[in-house]
Amino acid sequence: MSYVKLVVQRYDPERDEKPRFQEYIVPYRKGMTVLDAILYARDYLDHSIGVRFSCRMASCGSCGMKINGKPALACYTQVSELGTERIVVQPMDNFPVIKDLATDFEEFFEKHKELMPYLVREDRAEQENPKSEYLMKPEELERILQFTYCIKCGLCYSVCPTVGTDKLFPGPQAIAQAYRYVEDVRDEGGETRLNILDNPHGIWRCHFAGSCSAVCPKGVDPALGIQLLRRYVMRGKAPRKKGEGSKPFTK
Amino acid sequence: MEKGRERNRRGIRGWFDPTVPNNLERWAYFFQRLTGLGILAYVIGHIGDTSFFVGGPFGTGPNQSSWSFDLSITENVVGHLILIFVVLIVTFHGINGIRLILAELGIMVGKPSKIEYPYRPSSLRSVQRHIIWVAIVLAVLAAIWAGSILFG
Repeated sequence: MSYVKLVVQRYDPERDEKPRFQEYIVPYRKGMTVLDAILYARDYLDHSIGVRFSCRMASCGSCGMKINGKPALACYTQVSELGTERIVVQPMDNFPVIKDLATDFEEFFEKHKELMPYLVREDRAEQENPKSEYLMKPEELERILQFTYCIKCGLCYSVCPTVGTDKLFPGPQAIAQAYRYVEDVRDEGGETRLNILDNPHGIWRCHFAGSCSAVCPKGVDPALGIQLLRRYVMRGKAPRKKGEGSKPFTK
Repeated sequence: MEKGRERNRRGIRGWFDPTVPNNLERWAYFFQRLTGLGILAYVIGHIGDTSFFVGGPFGTGPNQSSWSFDLSITENVVGHLILIFVVLIVTFHGINGIRLILAELGIMVGKPSKIEYPYRPSSLRSVQRHIIWVAIVLAVLAAIWAGSILFG
């Protein structure tokens, strides 16, 4: 393979009536990722291609898109692994398009923030200015570790069938992160999060299609987190009440 | 921007998505919805049909002759095939429904653990996935059993 035919979905909501596809012939080199191909096209063939990226090594979560119909990170997908010379790239579903492949994450991050993705302590002064680390056992860390690997790329959100039909559903990323903090022994804000999720557009709208877990490039298992969190919601009881979080380390 | 937002939201089209790799649960999700609609259609049809003959223009009241007349219309090859299909979808829907109830209670979905590349989400390789196959196999067996009775 010496060239790849890169087909980019072009769409500017402020100008275009509907999306269209545009082809670019990009010279192939060994080790080329889909993001490399897009950037070649943007740099040398058409400066107007809209794409978001940053780290180029699957850490920042900026370059999520559909590649030949499958949701993936462009920087994490080798051209050679696709097994075809024709590569069709499209923006992720369920996100508004800013331009071409760049999508708007505002709604996504708003939902994420709503579920308080940070440690909550009863002692707010201590929370804002902690004097030492909070204690946590290795097995307690293991219960939440995989969920901390989330890079907020939005791939799970783009494939979720519930997000596609319910604008108010927080989505797999936000709920999985809620689980990560509810399960964290240092946290005391579990009851507040459960109350936010216990509504008809909340955690009950997940029907375990499992696609969120299947597409996650970092091995996070949002579907698992959601089902486990649902147990707490059903009991109406977080694992810890206010004041029951792990204590700060003292000598 | 709002126009682009609406354009890209998948809506009901997103029920069916064969593009997600290693995702039998998504197929089960789709067929659970489809079979649910099928069962709903059958129940409505069944109630309508029964009411029509028992209390409707052809009915002479809730007696055996009305009911026998109704049965005589549905007892043919097409009617039997429809019933076999109903048995198939009801069995799948029921067993898959039990799987979903258990999964949504956090049962049989695995547990969080340290992860290593290549990533294989524990929820997608847990017991719940085997139950999808059980639902498929039992649904086919139930349909074969129903066929043997209706055509036997």
